[in-house]
Amino acid sequence: MIRLRFPQKKKELELPGPRRVMDLLAEAGVRPTTVIVTQGKKLLTKDQRVEDGATIDVLSVVSGG
Amino acid sequence: MKCKRCRRAEAVVDLPSHHAAFCPDCFFVFFRRQVTEGIRKLRLLAPEDRVLVCVSGGKDSLVLWDVLMDEGYETEGLYIDLGIDGYSDRSKGKVLAYAASRGKTPIVVELAKEGIPIPEAARCVRMQECAICGTVKRYFFNRVASEGKFTVVATGHNLDDETARLLGNLLHWQRDHLARQHPLLPGAGEGLVRKVKPLWRVSEVETASYGFLKGIDYVTEECPMSADATSLVYKEALSRIEDRMPGTRIVFYQGFLDPSNPLRKAPDAEEDVGTPPACASCGAPTFTETCSFCRLKERVRKARSLRAGRVAG
Repeated sequence: MIRLRFPQKKKELELPGPRRVMDLLAEAGVRPTTVIVTQGKKLLTKDQRVEDGATIDVLSVVSGG
Repeated sequence: MKCKRCRRAEAVVDLPSHHAAFCPDCFFVFFRRQVTEGIRKLRLLAPEDRVLVCVSGGKDSLVLWDVLMDEGYETEGLYIDLGIDGYSDRSKGKVLAYAASRGKTPIVVELAKEGIPIPEAARCVRMQECAICGTVKRYFFNRVASEGKFTVVATGHNLDDETARLLGNLLHWQRDHLARQHPLLPGAGEGLVRKVKPLWRVSEVETASYGFLKGIDYVTEECPMSADATSLVYKEALSRIEDRMPGTRIVFYQGFLDPSNPLRKAPDAEEDVGTPPACASCGAPTFTETCSFCRLKERVRKARSLRAGRVAG
């Protein structure tokens, strides 16, 4: 499984891997133009393949006000 | 995916709106070029400017400060502590840490000490926090800039912010706002300092990517007061469109800024109104007898004394 962490929402999700970032986001219901996706100190492109067992962070970039 | 610029390194940022993907080094070049082109095209800044950069601790303003310093502008940071429990301390911590890493000490205005912390002020006058925050921030941006002899105030508004605002203004046919909406708001006389938005060409994904790759530690949590902000509704609508039709946002905004657009007035075409009259209460430039900040402060003061009277009675 791939662990998706959403630090701002304090939420986590597990999805089966391996899969591309864009497919993981689609399944999690997240629009790609609203987030950046990181794995440790690495920034991932939306077509990057994520291996099973990995943990990635999905960071919202939308600021309000 | 390989970087579209150097064609050697692995890409880490993909930008469908530009049909491009970049490795970290090439993305830095691309991003800085976007910002400097945005400054050059609209003549936002001159090399001799003293720039007051308004920093909130979020990604956009810290990235803006970072790029302007790297580009050689003379800058100082201004942080306004809004007095929001927990959030303000955390965001101030990020600003101070970033500033220290660049050998800077930001100017800090504490609204609690000024007698107008945002959450309490909003409760007192029964207004939306964001509306009050805008009035208060604009007042201090100008006051600090004016007192500190800065020639320009720079804020971190990006393409997503500006297009959300444009969509809102269009949907409500806010003709006055449309006429003035621009990354350059000219100053007036000696009291009103020019304001610029140098990040108008870059998206939130781009500023967040730049901040992450540069190791800028910004506050990622959202302001707790902004959960109901209408700008978020417009941003969501635009991001749905952008996902399906990449590049729409920049076309939308650049088309709006086109000098031939009859909806808006170019900043250099605006009449020089000279030095505006001074507020009867604080002396700040205003076109009304008392400035909006002093009127707000007075309403808060009255509400406070009314409440104190009720408690005492």
